[in-house]
Amino acid sequence: MLCIAGILLGLAGCAHASPANSAAPAPTAAPGALGYVRMGDLVKKHPLYSQLARLDEDVQAIQLRAVGERIARSGADIAVEQTRLQRELDAAVERTRKALAARQADYAKREQAALAAALGAAGTASRPGAGTIVAGVNRAGQRQAQGVAQTAAANLQAYRQQVVEQDTRALQALQHSLGESAERMYRSKAEQLQKNEADFALQLATGDAAERLSLRTKLSNLALDDAARAQVKARLDALDRKESDALAAMKNRDTATLANEQTVLRDRLKTELGRQAAALRAQTLAKLGRRGSQTRQDLVAQLGSPALAGAGVALPASLPPDLRAKLDALHKKYQSDFNGDANRTIAEFQKTRDELAKRYRELAGIDADAQAGANKQLATLQRQRGELYEQMVAQIESEVRAIAQKRGVNVVLSPVVAPARGIDLTDEAAKDIESLHE
Amino acid sequence: MRFSFRERVVAALGTFILACVALAPTVLAADVSDIGFLDQTSLSNVPSFVRANRQLALYKSDLDRQFAARMRRIRDSSGQSRIVQEFQNKLAQKQRELFGPLFTRAQVAIASVASSKNLSVVVDKRIVIVGGQDITKNVVDLLNGPGEPIPPVSTPPPSSVGYVDQAQIDRIPKIKGANDDFARFQAQQQQQAQQKLRSAKTDADRQQVLKDYQATLADKQKQLIGPLVDRTRDAIADVAKKKGLLLVIDRSNLIYGGTDITTDVTSEIK
Repeated sequence: MLCIAGILLGLAGCAHASPANSAAPAPTAAPGALGYVRMGDLVKKHPLYSQLARLDEDVQAIQLRAVGERIARSGADIAVEQTRLQRELDAAVERTRKALAARQADYAKREQAALAAALGAAGTASRPGAGTIVAGVNRAGQRQAQGVAQTAAANLQAYRQQVVEQDTRALQALQHSLGESAERMYRSKAEQLQKNEADFALQLATGDAAERLSLRTKLSNLALDDAARAQVKARLDALDRKESDALAAMKNRDTATLANEQTVLRDRLKTELGRQAAALRAQTLAKLGRRGSQTRQDLVAQLGSPALAGAGVALPASLPPDLRAKLDALHKKYQSDFNGDANRTIAEFQKTRDELAKRYRELAGIDADAQAGANKQLATLQRQRGELYEQMVAQIESEVRAIAQKRGVNVVLSPVVAPARGIDLTDEAAKDIESLHE
Repeated sequence: MRFSFRERVVAALGTFILACVALAPTVLAADVSDIGFLDQTSLSNVPSFVRANRQLALYKSDLDRQFAARMRRIRDSSGQSRIVQEFQNKLAQKQRELFGPLFTRAQVAIASVASSKNLSVVVDKRIVIVGGQDITKNVVDLLNGPGEPIPPVSTPPPSSVGYVDQAQIDRIPKIKGANDDFARFQAQQQQQAQQKLRSAKTDADRQQVLKDYQATLADKQKQLIGPLVDRTRDAIADVAKKKGLLLVIDRSNLIYGGTDITTDVTSEIK
C-alpha cells in the first residue's frame, strides 16, 4: 500500500528540478531560501554505496531463505552415501531371508522325524492311518512355520524401512544443520571483512579529507597558473590513487581470505558429514543385525519346538486321550511361546522406533537452532546496514550544510514529496560527494 | 528639466532595485524563519511517557499469557485468527487509553510553543538537514512543568510548506488496485525465487536468481505503478504551484501547521 508513497518519496523532486539549480557554479540565494536534496540519489553517489548495496542484497537473500546451499550442500556425496547404505541394508535382509528359509527346511525335516518317533512310541505308528496323521501334522507344521517365517520377515522388513526412513531424515537434517552452520561462519567472516573494508575506506577518506579540501580550494583559485594547477591536480590524483590502491589491495587480500575460508569450511563440512553419516550407518546396521539375529533365534526356537507338530491339526478321534492331551498341551505351549515372542518383538520394535523418533526430533531441534541463527544473522546485517547508512548520510549532510551556507539557503529538508519552488541542492551535493572520493 | 549625473545614477539604481523587488522569484522573498522542528524521540523520555510505556509493557505481558492460554485451546485457523484480532484490539485500546491523553497534551504544548515563536509549521527533526528552529527543549520543558499547557488562541499562520497524506492518496481506488496487483505479483515472484534459491548450487546461481527477481519486480513496478506515480507527482506539483508553496512534504513528517493539499491532489488525480 505504501508503494506509491515510497516511490514518490524516493523520486521527489526529480521531475521538476530546475536546470538552473543543477548548473555549477550555483547562484547564491537570498537569505531565507528553502532548499531540499534527494537523499536517495545522493546515497547512490556515495563511494560506499556499493557496500550498502551488497548488504542490501545479503539481507534480501536471507529474507528469501537463501541460506545453506552455497557451501553446505554436497548433494552428490550424500546420494552416494545413501545408496551404499541402502545396498548394505538390502543385502542384510536377503541374507536373513535365506538363513531363515534354510533353517525352516531343516527344522521341518527334524520335526517330521520327531513326530513319527512320538507317535511310534505311543504305539500308533503301526496302525493304519498313522502315516496320514504324521503327514497331516507335518503339513500343518509347514504351514505354521511358513506363516511364522513370513510374519517375521514382514516385521523385519517394516522395521528396516522404518529405520532407513528415519535415518535418511536424520541425515538430511544433519546435512542441513551442518550446512547452515558453515554458511553462517562464512557469512560472518565475509561480513567482518566487508565491515573492515567499509571502515578502512571511510578512514582513508576522512584521513585525506583535509588535504583534499585544501587542494580543491587551490584548484578553484582562478589566479593559479597552468603549472601550479597541474601540480595540484597531480597531487589530487595521487591521493585518489593512494586510496584506491590501498582499498583494492585490501579487497584482494579479503577475497583470497574468503576463498581460503570457503575451502576450509567445505572440507570441514565434508569430513564432519562423512563421519556422522558413517556413525549413523553403523548404528543402523547394528540395529538391523541385532534385529535379524533376534528374529532368527526366535524362529529357531519356534520352528524347532515340538509344539509345532500339533498346531492347528484336526486330530483323528481314534487317538488315545493321553496322546491327544499331550499334543494339545504342546499346541498351547507353542501358541503361548509364539504370542509371547510376538509381543516382545512388537515391544522392542516400538521402543527402537521411539528412540529413533526422539533422535530425529533432537536433530530437527538443531534445525530450529539454525533458523534462529539465520534470524540473528539477519539482525546483524540490518544493524550493519543501518550503521553504514548513518555514516554515509552524516557525510552527505555535512556536504549539504556547506553548500547551503555557501548559497545562503537557510533551511534544507529531505525527503520532500514535491519540490515546488524550493531550491534543489542535490546535483551540487552529488558533485562534491563524488569528487571527494573519486 | 536637467538631471545631474549623480541624480541620474541614483534614479537608475532606484529603478533597478524596484524592478528587482517586483520581478524577484517569490522563493527569495519567502520567509523560512517560521519553520520549526521537534525531536520526537526526546518526548519518549518525558516521565509521563515513560510511565505510560511501563504500564503498557506490563499490560502486554499479562495479555501475552492470556493469549497463549487461549490459543492452546483453539485448533482451527479461523478461531485462531479471531483470537489474534481480539487481542490486537485489546492492546490497541489500552494504547489509546494510555497515550491518547498524553499525545493530546503534547500537541497542545507543541502548538503553544510554535505559536509563541510565530512558527507556521513544525516538522520532524529527521527531515531537517539545515536550519529551522529546534523547539524540542521548549516542548519538553512545558510538558515537564506544572499544570497544563495553554493552547494558543489562534490557528497557525498560512505556511509555505505544504503536505499530503499519502496514505489517503493510496486509498484512491485505481492506486489501491495497482498496489494490490503489485503486491500479489511480488508475493508470487518471491515464492518462485525462493524455490530457485533452494536449488541453486553456486554463488553465481544464487546471485543470478536475486538479480532476476529484482529486475522482474522493477519492471512490473514500472509498468503497473510508474504511470500512477507520475500522475500523482504532477498533481502534487500543480496544486503546490497554484497555492504558491515552496515545498511539499509527507504528512508523516509533519508535526504541526503546514498547508494541507491532500484533498486538492486527490480531486486532481481522480
